[in-house]
Amino acid sequence: MSHNLKNWPIVVGLILATIPIMLMYLYLFVDTFTDTLPGEMIPNRFTLVHWRFLWENIEGKASVWLAMLNTLIFAGSVTLIVLSVSSTSSYALSRLNLPFRRQFLVGVLLLHAFPSITLIIAIFLILQMVGLYNTLIGVILVKASLQLPLGIWIMKGFYDSVPWEIEMAGIQDGASRFTVWYRLVLPQVRPGFFALGLFSFLEGWSEYILPTVLAPANDVQVLSVFLAQLIQDDQHFDFNLFKSVGLFYATPVIIFYLFFQDKLMNIYGGGTKG
Amino acid sequence: MSTSTGITGGSYQTTPSILRSLADQGFDRSTLKHIGTESYLVSERGLQAAAKAGTKTELVEELRERYLGETFASRRLFERFLKTLDNRPRSTRALKTTSPYFRKSLINERFNGEDEFRRALKELGLDLSREQTDQLVRASYTGWIWTLENFRKMFLLPETRQILLNTGFYVASTLLLFNVGFALVLAITTFYLPKGQAAIFRALWFLPRITPSVLYVLLWKWLTWDTGFINAVVANFGVTPRNWMLDTAANAWVTVILINGFIGASMGMIIFSSAMTAIPKQMLYASEVDGANRWQQIRHIILPQIKWPILFVTVYQTLSLLTSFEQIFLSTDGGPGSSTEVWALSAYHNALDNYWGNLQYGYGASLALVLVVVGVIMSLLYLRLFRFKELVKLPRIEQ
Amino acid sequence: MEIVLENFTKRFGELTVIENMNLKINEGEMMALLGPSGCGKSTTLFAICGIQKLNGGSVYFDGQDVTLMPTQQRNIGVVFQSFALYPHMTVFQNIAFPLTVRKEDKLTIKKNVGEMAELVHIEELLERRPEQLSGGQQQRVALARALIRKPGALLMDEPLANLDAKLRLEMRSEIRRVQLETGISAVLVTHDQVEAMSMSDRIAIMKDGKILQVASPDEMYQRPENDFIAGFLGNPPIAFLDGIISAGNVKISSGNIEFPCPENIEKLPDGSHISVGIRPEFYQPGNPYKISGTVSFVEIQGRENLYDIRLKDGSLLRSIQSANVSPLSSGTEVDWGVNPEQLFFFDNSGKRL
Repeated sequence: MSHNLKNWPIVVGLILATIPIMLMYLYLFVDTFTDTLPGEMIPNRFTLVHWRFLWENIEGKASVWLAMLNTLIFAGSVTLIVLSVSSTSSYALSRLNLPFRRQFLVGVLLLHAFPSITLIIAIFLILQMVGLYNTLIGVILVKASLQLPLGIWIMKGFYDSVPWEIEMAGIQDGASRFTVWYRLVLPQVRPGFFALGLFSFLEGWSEYILPTVLAPANDVQVLSVFLAQLIQDDQHFDFNLFKSVGLFYATPVIIFYLFFQDKLMNIYGGGTKG
Repeated sequence: MSTSTGITGGSYQTTPSILRSLADQGFDRSTLKHIGTESYLVSERGLQAAAKAGTKTELVEELRERYLGETFASRRLFERFLKTLDNRPRSTRALKTTSPYFRKSLINERFNGEDEFRRALKELGLDLSREQTDQLVRASYTGWIWTLENFRKMFLLPETRQILLNTGFYVASTLLLFNVGFALVLAITTFYLPKGQAAIFRALWFLPRITPSVLYVLLWKWLTWDTGFINAVVANFGVTPRNWMLDTAANAWVTVILINGFIGASMGMIIFSSAMTAIPKQMLYASEVDGANRWQQIRHIILPQIKWPILFVTVYQTLSLLTSFEQIFLSTDGGPGSSTEVWALSAYHNALDNYWGNLQYGYGASLALVLVVVGVIMSLLYLRLFRFKELVKLPRIEQ
Repeated sequence: MEIVLENFTKRFGELTVIENMNLKINEGEMMALLGPSGCGKSTTLFAICGIQKLNGGSVYFDGQDVTLMPTQQRNIGVVFQSFALYPHMTVFQNIAFPLTVRKEDKLTIKKNVGEMAELVHIEELLERRPEQLSGGQQQRVALARALIRKPGALLMDEPLANLDAKLRLEMRSEIRRVQLETGISAVLVTHDQVEAMSMSDRIAIMKDGKILQVASPDEMYQRPENDFIAGFLGNPPIAFLDGIISAGNVKISSGNIEFPCPENIEKLPDGSHISVGIRPEFYQPGNPYKISGTVSFVEIQGRENLYDIRLKDGSLLRSIQSANVSPLSSGTEVDWGVNPEQLFFFDNSGKRL
């Protein structure tokens, strides 16, 4: 664009608006390794004491490593389910002449617009009834199925953009419909597949409401619930401890963000459009 | 979340919130108060039940011989009394399992059949009319019934109006100020910046979206609470520390809108930015040649070109703001009082996280159902925006 | 392989695209399906290879009914308009794919791919990926992939449409060369009459889902069955003037000429309205019946000059003349003529008389 106008007022304005974010995230890192006197802004000493939860349990809480394992299982399983189901079903919805295909698509679209709060009450009761309340399997199934409409929607968008002629050529070359999907089409949508996997994993990793309602017990607790309960129960408001646990919890998110920023921005921004 | 679930059906249980709603309906308050207060009585019936359940015989005998007929105003007092006995229960657990047998109250107690519940009501020794008894029985039933009562209640409760107003205010202001408004500011300003600087600002503003909500809200608490950063700063100017998140309704709203707006801005920012890069460069050059200044360029070239994305973000974000409550739940939890209680949060509170300990699944679900209806209507709007016809085009391979 | 379509009918939803079409493609010949876009030629091609189902009628390969046979078993090679190369595979893997899915052994595959690469002259490109190839090279790869299974027939859907003008000329002869070398039956779908005329043995010209005429290119140009075909073939296109039969003469009022009816229209009654088709090469200075007009547009092509001539009543004639005289300029009055023996006459329904 033309550079006949000065940029610095824009930059200054943006910096001012961004100050809260910069402060919050700067101090997120700083506070986990330092102590600050009450009422001061500048830390006065370096310490690792806030990280003690890594080698000793916090009073009244299960081990953070158990929560970490639970979170891994939770996010990992959700990702697996979402990827396998949406990569197959959305191909069928995009490309095969299924009966009720139109109705399926309307259903997916409506479900996609549905927020989890509208369903969570019923889900809570159902899980109690079938005995999956307070189990990881239960909350994994719930999260995965709530995530699926979006997954199917996104993957359908990617499949729709694969040229028909590639598929026609594959069939012409003698490949079965399954071979065509697996060897010709799936490689074309690999970026979408990868992005959806990343997205599902992070969604699972960050999920709080579902586990806190459906699996709050200590032994199946995921890190989000672990951290939230820690904050709720603690009477001293030990922000340094909270932040250290929080940073520990957010590590994979930060790593993924650093490496796959563009991919993530795409799917968070455009994902809803498919 | 440990108390009743209505799912087994068929049982009877009087809860504090049932009593409150009965009071609202004009039920005699002193009677309700009586039903509502717990008291503990050393009775023959209680002793027998306790003995049957395996309480130590020595303890039962001691109670029967020396204290039969004594009443205690609360569980705490009763348990304190038990601890003073010669044959007192050894562990806290034994103490806790013993005391309920002597409770002389209906509150929170579960009865499996209507007759059982009526008998217990009678045993309270209150002078209840037949209508009053029937009303209590009906209100305490936890099983399935077909009813529109929940929706009637939704209409009648004065809270509903307040929550509706809260929701409208919350959605409108967050949407206008951040999810669309500030998102546009971010997209347009970064559009004019050199690539590197633009990327930094976009990455920073994307952080709130990517950060797990529990941690993200924690950071806001650190910023706003009594011992938090803002107080540390303003203390230098002689301002007394306070909880900026919860001290007044106005401050709570500011915090809630900021917390959600900082997350919401990034989606619009990304969508608008990519829509703006799709505007042909020649068009922008042409407008400059034609003498448009930057503001005119934004006003006459850029904004008209991205009006569909703006509409899309508005519709999409309206729905997600209406239904998201996670951040409010984690930050103000509807407080102070219920000044920041929005519709979705209220559904959640009623059904799954009631302060009074009992959970009104039915009422919560009917609140949620209202959101479903809104969701479906807005999805139909999507269908138009999404050009649904294109999405259901027939497959071109017919086998 | 001989391909026969019998009473072929195709509907998309409510819309009938093709109704009761009959077509026979002989063993070893190249048949062009020519027509404007939307006339149903690609639909016909998809029916032959089985990608789309028939709503009525049958397809026979060498007398065998294959109507219900899945595409995969039909053993037909197809070259698509966009070439449809698999972007994540190398050229070698692309060409080998039909054999790979048939689980042929590695040695056979290697040998066959080598032969095909040689046939289409891309031996040195086998390790590249499609995006590293030029359009012409991609076309050759697509051709090799279509032919590697030794298919009974080769179908091509607008194979030259995605190439630039120079490559189009080159690939035109290349495809024809490969087809003749392999002796395979082939169907060429195209909307370009030059392509159809220069590459094929016979042309089936289509309009609105119907085949209007099947004939060799030469015959179709010389003896078009109706005015649509006459107008579709030939560049610059034929011009039409209204005529009327009057006392054994053809009277063309806009040209202000009158000449005796040639024998093929002698029997028409007086007062019949006809349409007279005049090809540009037959409106020339030396011909006997002069039609005067004004040059309204000149296009200089180097070897030849094209002229648009505006007649007094506003109708248009075209003429193509060799460029050995210096070109006339716009606005010049000319007085060129026609020869009745070289004209086409069409009746009211468009049928040639």
